[in-house]
Amino acid sequence: MERRELLKMIALATGGALIGGELFFSGCKSAGGAVTFTPETIAFLDEVAETIIPATSTPGAKAAQVGEFMKVYVTDCYDADDQKVFLEGVNKLNDACNKMHGHDFMKAPAEHRKALLTALDKEAKAVQDQRSKAYSEYEKAERAKGSNLPIMDFKNPVAPHYFTLMKQLTLLGFFTSKTGATETLRHIQVPGKYDGALPYKKGDKAWADSI
Amino acid sequence: MPDNNTFDAIVVGSGISGGWAAKELTEKGLKVLLLERGKNIEHIKDYKNTTKEIWDFPHRNGRTQQEINDYPHLKRDYPLRESMADDNWSPWASDKDNPYTEIKRYDWFRGYILGGRSLLWGRQSYRFNKWDFEANAKEGIGVDWPVRYDDIAPWYSYAEKFAGIQGTKEGLEVLPDGEFLPGMEMNVVEKDVAAKIKDHYKGKRHMFIGRSANITEPKPEQNRVNCQYRNRCWYGCPFGAYFSSNSATLPVAMKTGNLTIEADKIATQVLYDKDKKRATGVEALDTNTNKTYTYNAKIVFLCASTFNSTWILMNSATNIWPDGLGSSSGELGHNVMDHHLKVGAGGVVEGYEDKYTFGRRPTGIYIPRFRNIYDDKRDYLRGFGYQGGASRGRGVEIAEHTLGAELKEALSEPGKWYMSIGGFGEILPDHSNKISLDKNKKDKWGLPVLAFDVELKENELKMRKDMANDAAEMLEAAGVKDVKARDTGYAHGMGIHEMGTARMGRDPKTSVLNGFNQVWDAPNVFVTDGAFMASSSCVNPSLTYMAFTARAADHAVSELKKGNL
Repeated sequence: MERRELLKMIALATGGALIGGELFFSGCKSAGGAVTFTPETIAFLDEVAETIIPATSTPGAKAAQVGEFMKVYVTDCYDADDQKVFLEGVNKLNDACNKMHGHDFMKAPAEHRKALLTALDKEAKAVQDQRSKAYSEYEKAERAKGSNLPIMDFKNPVAPHYFTLMKQLTLLGFFTSKTGATETLRHIQVPGKYDGALPYKKGDKAWADSI
Repeated sequence: MPDNNTFDAIVVGSGISGGWAAKELTEKGLKVLLLERGKNIEHIKDYKNTTKEIWDFPHRNGRTQQEINDYPHLKRDYPLRESMADDNWSPWASDKDNPYTEIKRYDWFRGYILGGRSLLWGRQSYRFNKWDFEANAKEGIGVDWPVRYDDIAPWYSYAEKFAGIQGTKEGLEVLPDGEFLPGMEMNVVEKDVAAKIKDHYKGKRHMFIGRSANITEPKPEQNRVNCQYRNRCWYGCPFGAYFSSNSATLPVAMKTGNLTIEADKIATQVLYDKDKKRATGVEALDTNTNKTYTYNAKIVFLCASTFNSTWILMNSATNIWPDGLGSSSGELGHNVMDHHLKVGAGGVVEGYEDKYTFGRRPTGIYIPRFRNIYDDKRDYLRGFGYQGGASRGRGVEIAEHTLGAELKEALSEPGKWYMSIGGFGEILPDHSNKISLDKNKKDKWGLPVLAFDVELKENELKMRKDMANDAAEMLEAAGVKDVKARDTGYAHGMGIHEMGTARMGRDPKTSVLNGFNQVWDAPNVFVTDGAFMASSSCVNPSLTYMAFTARAADHAVSELKKGNL
């Protein structure tokens, strides 16, 4: 499995391309500065991630230390604007939980967490639609100018929803973790041969994403 | 440093062409100095990211804002990623140390390391066909190649046998067969699409496994093991399974005892004796100490990569020719070519849900050119080929699941099969597409940099419409569903197939090199990287560099023996 398949999957699951250093046109106008992630924040993010990708017959996002991964990725790969959205999102998510259920996210039972994140996912996807539209319009305007160059240095005027960022990094962090790649997915370091018609039956796991 | 700075031959650059030059010349008994501007690395031992897994990288092989900032050119496409730019493995040139000027946008992706981009290439290996060598003359484009297919065919065979090219014989005039190792296998969906294309186009269009320099049988005499299907070629192969200078040509050259490698040395000019009309050697700058060295030799092979070989010529013999050695024709620096791409189509293949793949195959499929050959005539010249493949995507009905166990389950299974192809189009040589020295801008070592004034012209822009439409039409004809054509835009250089700027020809008034890659004004200087190309064909060019380099080396030694150099 090529890594680009993973990125395609993340885009499909979150309604848009991975935000952060992946984009060729992500520019460097406002490189992110040092940001603070307290152990509480990381624990909080672990719980958000675990709600998205829970432990089942295989370990989930928490076991894959997705909270810690988010800290590293947001610190190093996000620009300053996206960092701000992400960090403010931690409080916003908690506020939304209080509003919906009358208590903090960390104290919420699993069913409350799921209900909250399901609602946020809907909100986030609506924002993603606006972002896609903004990009399409920009691309169309560039092409109308007669340029055949790939788009570069595009900054989407619509800020992403914080839940999009959290969900994207949960999927990225989980499926590229050792447990995600080798226990939930399958991975063989040195295949040694190629078979272009390997028998497959429903339920067999996908191959993990190659670097 | 050797005490003696005098050699029989100097080869500048250790990439595909330089590695071949070093191998051929040392095997013929010449004492050879190989200059490489990047750092020295040891085959296998220094491939430090090659056995790492994705979770070993803190950003999971993404790119950090620091990397984006450090690589203002490389960031424009896929080559920039964490695993290719960390302390263990950074084969790409530093954009900061090696700036250049863009009169128009030019994406120049350079590999400054021993082995150069032979470590980083796509390994696709195709022969030019007979029409490729005749088209310039027939159409009045550029200059006529001084070489025909029959001249170079034996050298293609020679290069293929040593490098190890896997592929299948197809018996096509448009893409001549070579000396192949057993071909890799198309997967079940690719076989289906290939059969349907053949059927629909009544044998006029073809799809088969992409021919590549990945060996499918061991080559014990070169200490190379057959491909293990990891698809990690870009990290250096610990099995030596793909052809690189490091895995193949340089070890052979070293074994002769005739090779000296000097890394961290930028060749700054060819030294020229105007009375003898011959080069006498090369001047080089040490990238660590800034100290200048002079090396003497009877012959010089410039294999520094297309634009850097031309840059060296531009800086040489300027007391005689202000625009440099080889500039007397007025063509040095002109006729920049690449292959234009980022245009094609893709879609979903229904069925085959009971099939998957095992192993990570390091090549895709190939569809050779079918435009403007035989009775086909378009409103543009030349044509394009496609590369691509089929694979199963990830995730089942992804959009239906929001979170929780169902989402995890859905994302853990393979999804539908997709088939995608992307075109590689020929770019015509055009005098107005040029590079020149920008003496106002200096690199880290105070050397003048190159300025790029290059763009796609009408012929390529017309061709791109066919490249998208034909791709979509072909996939639809093969039963692929939800086919979407795409043209995401192309900036010159993105093919990483730079060619031209010191073209070969039949007349010193209109070309820089003769038919044996010798500079007309200094016949003991050979240019055998992409700079010599008089046209670009639409196939990947590296195999052609190998063949021409071996041929030029053979000619050089024979001329040396005759006392002509």
